[in-house]
Amino acid sequence: MSKPDDTTLIERCIKGDRKAFETLLIQYEKPVFNAAYRMLNNKEDASDVTQTVFLKVYENLDSFDPSRRFFSWLYRIALNESINVLGKQKRLEPLQHEPADDGKSPEQEVASAELSAEIQAALMTVKTEYRTVVILKHFLGCSYMEISEVLEIPEKTVKSRLYSARQMLKDALTRSGN
Amino acid sequence: MNADIDGEIDQADKGHLDEFLAANDEACALRAELETLCGTIDSVEAVSPPPHIRHVIMNAVKPTPTKTESPGILDILFASPVLKYSATFAAGVLLTMSILSSDEISHRAFDDVTGLVGTISDPISGDIVNSISVDNAGVAGQVSLRRAGSMLILDFDLVTNGPVEIEADYRDRSIWFNGFAQLESSGTTISAKSGSVTLGMEGKRRYAVYLQNSGERDVTVNLRFLTGGEVLHEASLKFEPED
Repeated sequence: MSKPDDTTLIERCIKGDRKAFETLLIQYEKPVFNAAYRMLNNKEDASDVTQTVFLKVYENLDSFDPSRRFFSWLYRIALNESINVLGKQKRLEPLQHEPADDGKSPEQEVASAELSAEIQAALMTVKTEYRTVVILKHFLGCSYMEISEVLEIPEKTVKSRLYSARQMLKDALTRSGN
Repeated sequence: MNADIDGEIDQADKGHLDEFLAANDEACALRAELETLCGTIDSVEAVSPPPHIRHVIMNAVKPTPTKTESPGILDILFASPVLKYSATFAAGVLLTMSILSSDEISHRAFDDVTGLVGTISDPISGDIVNSISVDNAGVAGQVSLRRAGSMLILDFDLVTNGPVEIEADYRDRSIWFNGFAQLESSGTTISAKSGSVTLGMEGKRRYAVYLQNSGERDVTVNLRFLTGGEVLHEASLKFEPED
């Protein structure tokens, strides 16, 4: 049996099918959480944003425009929620290192955590409009066109922001000795 | 160059870029640098969300979305996790005081209670010293242990599928149960005796249990989550004072 697409799942959700919503949740909780985490640099805040995003989505499913792609609507809400939290905080959280047990050796674990922390630290030095394109491109795997849809900006702007963001990240990593 | 690395360059531009790179070593080096940077970012692994998050969200969504009813204060608090504990505690103080005056809570086991919610002067501050996640079909969420001076605070943020009893056993009889705060106005019961506190709950709950640890001693709080007498989950939270 083929997997139902997002539009079908949304239609079922609107009719009150919680299972359909759970399918969407399973599919998108990780990218939404990662987007929020990369924006906020704090797992607890990212959890709160993830909860808020999915509750908002559920409550507003009937206002979803089916001519858009679901993920672009979802990611836009996630990034906006994260930006709202950043606005309220106006501070940077210290990096959290929470080792994940995925069968790696301790050395691999440390190297992976260090790399992640360095990239995250560099990312936090970049302004939010540049950070969002990096997150969409590198952490959520969006194409230029998809980024343009999520952020509602022309593809040309996506390209120029991504170019600038990468320069900023390179400079930040160079400054930190990488 | 960026579009080339991202695989989003068209054939015509690709041809121009290749010609340019062939004639320009500096540009080649720049491209290589950029490619390394992109590869490095792409190699960063995705972070997994906390295991209980799906349960929490599914428990919070209503069977059918309704927009006509205006939400009550508890609905607003529950629907906005960013409000976090400061808001939930503030509501909890008032609601708990009214619960304590009702017959819903068993008073028989309060012999060792030294104080209740009103004795806590600064309930929000306190450093998390330990926390555990619970991801079980019957109960999911987090329990954290905070320290605020000589007070130890157990924060429960849980969702259950049915009635669940939680035993918090701390053995050391020099540690006293000092208070309790919760958001919900009904459905949670609490009883305390020397060395342990027992809570009964159902659904989504956020509450805090306050323990007085005047001697600042090492404490291990053993938690048992039970339903119908059957143990669903067991965990421990440890506090060790700094030297």
